[in-house]
Amino acid sequence: MAESAIAVRGLRKSFGAKEAVAGIDLDIAAGSFAGLVGPNGAGKTTSLSMMTGLLRPDAGQIVINGLDVWADPVAAKAIIGVVPAEARLFERLSGAELLEYAGRLRGMPAAEARSRAAQLLDVLDLTGDGHRLVADYSTGMRKKAALGCSLIHNPAVLFLDEPLEGVDPVSADVIRRLLTRYVGSGSTVLFSSHVMELVEQVCDHVSIISEGRIVATGTTAEVRGGKTLQQAFIDLVGSKAREGDELSWLGSSSS
Amino acid sequence: MARVLVQLKIRLLLNALRSSRRARVSFIFSSLFAVLVAAGTFVVLALLRGLSAPVDLTATIFTLFAFGWLILPVMLFGLDGTLDPATLAMYPVRTRTLAAGLLAASATGAWPAANVIGLLGVTVGLARGAFGELIAVVAVVLQVLFCIAMARCLTTGLAGLLRSRRGKDFAAFLVVPLFALYELFAQTVPRLAAEGEITARAFAGVDRWLQWLPPGLAAHAIQDASTGHPGAALLRLVLLAAVIVVLGALWIHFLSRALVTADTTTQSSAVRGAPLPFARGGLRGTVAGRFLVYQRRDPASVVRWCIIAVVMGAASIAALRTPHYAVGLVLSSVLGAGMVSLLHANSIGFTGPSFWLEAASLTSARDLRSYLAGRNVALAVIALPLMLTVSGALAVASGHPVYAIWAADIDVAAIGAALAMSSIFTVNLAYPGQQRAGSPVPGNADGYSGQAIGSSLGSILGVAVLTLPVTLTMLATDSLATPARVPLLTVLAVACGAALAWGGTRTAATAARLQLPELNQIAAQSTF
Repeated sequence: MAESAIAVRGLRKSFGAKEAVAGIDLDIAAGSFAGLVGPNGAGKTTSLSMMTGLLRPDAGQIVINGLDVWADPVAAKAIIGVVPAEARLFERLSGAELLEYAGRLRGMPAAEARSRAAQLLDVLDLTGDGHRLVADYSTGMRKKAALGCSLIHNPAVLFLDEPLEGVDPVSADVIRRLLTRYVGSGSTVLFSSHVMELVEQVCDHVSIISEGRIVATGTTAEVRGGKTLQQAFIDLVGSKAREGDELSWLGSSSS
Repeated sequence: MARVLVQLKIRLLLNALRSSRRARVSFIFSSLFAVLVAAGTFVVLALLRGLSAPVDLTATIFTLFAFGWLILPVMLFGLDGTLDPATLAMYPVRTRTLAAGLLAASATGAWPAANVIGLLGVTVGLARGAFGELIAVVAVVLQVLFCIAMARCLTTGLAGLLRSRRGKDFAAFLVVPLFALYELFAQTVPRLAAEGEITARAFAGVDRWLQWLPPGLAAHAIQDASTGHPGAALLRLVLLAAVIVVLGALWIHFLSRALVTADTTTQSSAVRGAPLPFARGGLRGTVAGRFLVYQRRDPASVVRWCIIAVVMGAASIAALRTPHYAVGLVLSSVLGAGMVSLLHANSIGFTGPSFWLEAASLTSARDLRSYLAGRNVALAVIALPLMLTVSGALAVASGHPVYAIWAADIDVAAIGAALAMSSIFTVNLAYPGQQRAGSPVPGNADGYSGQAIGSSLGSILGVAVLTLPVTLTMLATDSLATPARVPLLTVLAVACGAALAWGGTRTAATAARLQLPELNQIAAQSTF
């Protein structure tokens, strides 16, 4: 378990009678660019929230670079970065202030936090908007600002929940290049996404989650099994769509 | 449509109720409070029977309720959980039909019912005879409908202003004068009545102009019907109904515009490129810096501080020019600090989903102590000068400027108590916030009124009780010479305030360490 950057054993979480995560085991090697894919409601966000110490699991163990997230949260949180799905930010701070705040929350000296914030804003193509309030940022700018917040303390492992959802192609490319460079330095990324093409393109490791369980995990090539990832995903998760013969009224303009 | 929307409102309330045990407790608490308000109002109105000017008092109480409907849903507890018309914009429904449905949905719930039941006290206090009773019931229903239509009209009208972030910022400040009016009325009238300066007789004739306002029309319709003037009674009710129809038409107009007007939050606003304050203050300074920036830039925060100043003034104004001016000054300080606690008793819930950034970074009890201490530093940096200034001004206005010293001592101790109480409530009674459509400031999410009311009452009571050592010492040393009394009370106040803030922060941080993920989930449920 210690060799993995992310090691998860028997992770479970229920909300009332609904079992959102039903016993997940997962190993992600250090330096991986790993994708966690699954249909809506499969348990991706719940799993990532538990892995990052933001949601208490009912059972299971999560070890990040040898540190148990729930037994030693102080040490574990220090080495991880996280961008939640709908990364809501402090709207009344400017982009520069937000990144500085994120750095200082992580215990960085103010001057260093400011310096890194400026560098990240530059790489994320936000320098021109650095002194605008986050309230006035577009979705793509918010995602990039959230990514900056999660990277400012140089975490060893980065968790991203739908990082490119609602992001325009140009911003998406900026984020993708930054993450590729980050992984290239030996750090680890685990991100969830619905976009199979993206996962296939950038990930070297893929896990498919369905109904709270991991139904396939391995290198991208192993999981694909000679098909496209999209097809492999549909084959594994199973398309529940019916032909819709009973919807004879649909498509008619009569009513 | 009305039936569908009423069912939707009930379903939303029930779903909120099912969401957690906290929400259930909150609902029960809120419902009990509504029952108390209903019973209290009924009894007060019923007791008017036999008094010299029941119709004047009824008109005044009806007007007070109308003010309450105008202010409270916008400002305090979000008593009127309403449906957001924007979510219904896509359906092919005529605006008129939609408005009728939304009105019916607004009238559904514990608080509208409490209003109707409470106001039905007029059937005992004012109405006479079968026709009088019948008119009383109709008048009460129309009065509540008027209140709802007026509140909806105002909030939807504001929605036009709320199309941009800057508009929202501006609209938030409209709350202050409305609240000041309400507070002045609510604080001074009951106290003056208790002191015998306002008697039932004093209200005779007060409604010379109130009777032409919609609540006055309702009250006088009952009086007319009970004194053998059925034509006048019916005419007044027709007038009141016409006002409701006009408000409804205005509301439909505002609604039809709001439904199809795009959000134009595209105006960019630059801030100066200065670093966050308290750069050398470690984690505590970091958090204090962020909170301080928010106190300045977030209109809801600025509005809260304005409200605290208004409450301090309203709490003492009746007593300032009387021999009881000292009591007024002490009350002003304690209530002002109580409001500091009340308005900041849900800091994490009102931080909203952005709290993840802090939750992802903070973990240890030490971190959380620094977090809460940083929040308290930011609040104290504003509360201290604000309250000392207002207390000083009130002491001068009372004609006894030297009492500013004693008021300042109470301020210091009470602010310490407020920081302690608000820290403890922020952690132990956190609830999700909600920015309702048309409301410029956030309130509690549906199903959490009980927690909001609980932490509000707890804040006021807690601050009053925790400040007692200083208040009682002040009373006990009344005969002491001023040169000896000043240092004694100042040292006691500073020590008491600091100890309370320190103790409250530690207690809250210890609790927060054990439930940080849960607090993050509550903040994540906030919708703003």
